[in-house]
Amino acid sequence: MKPSLIKEVLRNLFSKPATIQYPREQTIIEPDFRGRHYADLMKCIGCSLCSIECPANAIKMVKIPEEYPAPKKNPRKIYPVIDYFKCVYCYRCVAVCPTRAYIVTNNYRLASFKRSTSEKLSLETLKKAG
Amino acid sequence: MTVTKIVEIPLVLEIPIGPQHPALHEPLLLKVYADGEEVVRVDINTGYNHRGVEKLCEKNTFYRDIFIAGRVCGICNTVHANCFVRALERILDLEPSPRAKYLRVLAMELERIHSHMLINAVMAEILGFDTLFMLIMRDREMVMKAKEILTGNRVLADYMIVSGVRRDIDETKRDRLLSILDKVEKRIKYYRKLFEEDATINLRLRDVGVIKDVDASRYALVGPPARGSGIKIDARASDKYDAYDEIPFNVIVRKEGDSWARMMVRWDEALESVSMSRYVLEHLPRDSNAVPDERRLPRRFPPGETFTRAEAPRGELTYYVLSDGKPKPYRVKIRTPSFNNIINGGFAYIGYTIADLPAILVSYDPCISCMERAIVIDLRNNKKMYVSLKDLVVGGRK
Repeated sequence: MKPSLIKEVLRNLFSKPATIQYPREQTIIEPDFRGRHYADLMKCIGCSLCSIECPANAIKMVKIPEEYPAPKKNPRKIYPVIDYFKCVYCYRCVAVCPTRAYIVTNNYRLASFKRSTSEKLSLETLKKAG
Repeated sequence: MTVTKIVEIPLVLEIPIGPQHPALHEPLLLKVYADGEEVVRVDINTGYNHRGVEKLCEKNTFYRDIFIAGRVCGICNTVHANCFVRALERILDLEPSPRAKYLRVLAMELERIHSHMLINAVMAEILGFDTLFMLIMRDREMVMKAKEILTGNRVLADYMIVSGVRRDIDETKRDRLLSILDKVEKRIKYYRKLFEEDATINLRLRDVGVIKDVDASRYALVGPPARGSGIKIDARASDKYDAYDEIPFNVIVRKEGDSWARMMVRWDEALESVSMSRYVLEHLPRDSNAVPDERRLPRRFPPGETFTRAEAPRGELTYYVLSDGKPKPYRVKIRTPSFNNIINGGFAYIGYTIADLPAILVSYDPCISCMERAIVIDLRNNKKMYVSLKDLVVGGRK
């Protein structure tokens, strides 16, 4: 007896497709998938450790704009901005942060035409608190 | 009438296959010299995908290099990272906890399953059996999901860190992984039977690209190409690194030595990996913490040199790391299995037809981005020089 693919093909003809109709149907993703992450500026102390340790050089330390209230524990008034196009999502920055300031999400839909950075998301955490 | 023109018909025809060719998924040039249909000589030409990873490692700190090492090869990234991390652990004189060792083995074995499934799918595609390619790739998704549950990403795991792993699993994740393994095992058994008995696959792969055991050891082949020729070589069994000394497994060896035997070795190894993963999940030690606090890891590396090896899905992978006490490594030398198998494996094509060539190449499981290295050749003297690894490291910087 030889196994033939005909049985397999017939079974697949009547079964649900294995592919996902992506924009209409969302891919099921793990809650702890390594997706988009950004710094919570209420916790950040501006130590630059994440920027030093990043293997892809994706994190730059930038001055907090004047109109935002910088927390007292951030004396140099700088915060990390992640370039999501450079980032390799290894989460080394999340692990080395001394104050556990990074907010992690499982958002994997990161394609965009414009340059996408964590600037807006990080500054929003500051606004909410202030 | 005087003769003005002579048409010379060359006995040997030169056919370049690659660097861009539908049969190859990565840039590699096989310069084939053919007498009619029969291949008489193959020159292997590399250098289309050189990225300077070793130099990049020298320019970054040890901890950043762990993630760079993982990106040498996409499909065997945990093995690369594991080999490099173990080299760092030897320099630092650290030992991971037993639970971390078991989890490392689990990640590497899951990777072996999906790597072997991928190359068997590619082989089916090369033979013109696209339905089988689609079916294997569909079932490979289950293993990718298992890897996502364990490490947090489908392919690039970034799972290894000095003295442990970066994520732990709980009971629900363990049960999900076990149920995925049950499903995967059933499918692998079916595909193994298909490769054993299907007429198309047997006609195309049996007695094609036969490598004798003498040749396999003479040309220093590693991994499944060597094991398919009856050479029992496996770094997991000989080095017993991480938890491989506690987990029972067999080294799969076949005597035939043809392309078919190499693919069958891969299926049997995938089944072996499923049983090893199951053993790991059922016997996971609970006493120790697997995830070290990355903020408290040692930042200073003492001077020293290490040489570690690991069994990647394609064969034996070695890392040589030299530290001179500074924050960056002085030298990182990587030797990947494809480097041996593809560059030395040109002899296996001779005597077979041009149509067999892609099937033989795929049976080696080429990984071109892994193996690209710069080699210095002295053209003036035209001499072969043998330089020891230590001299090579010291180089011009004595």
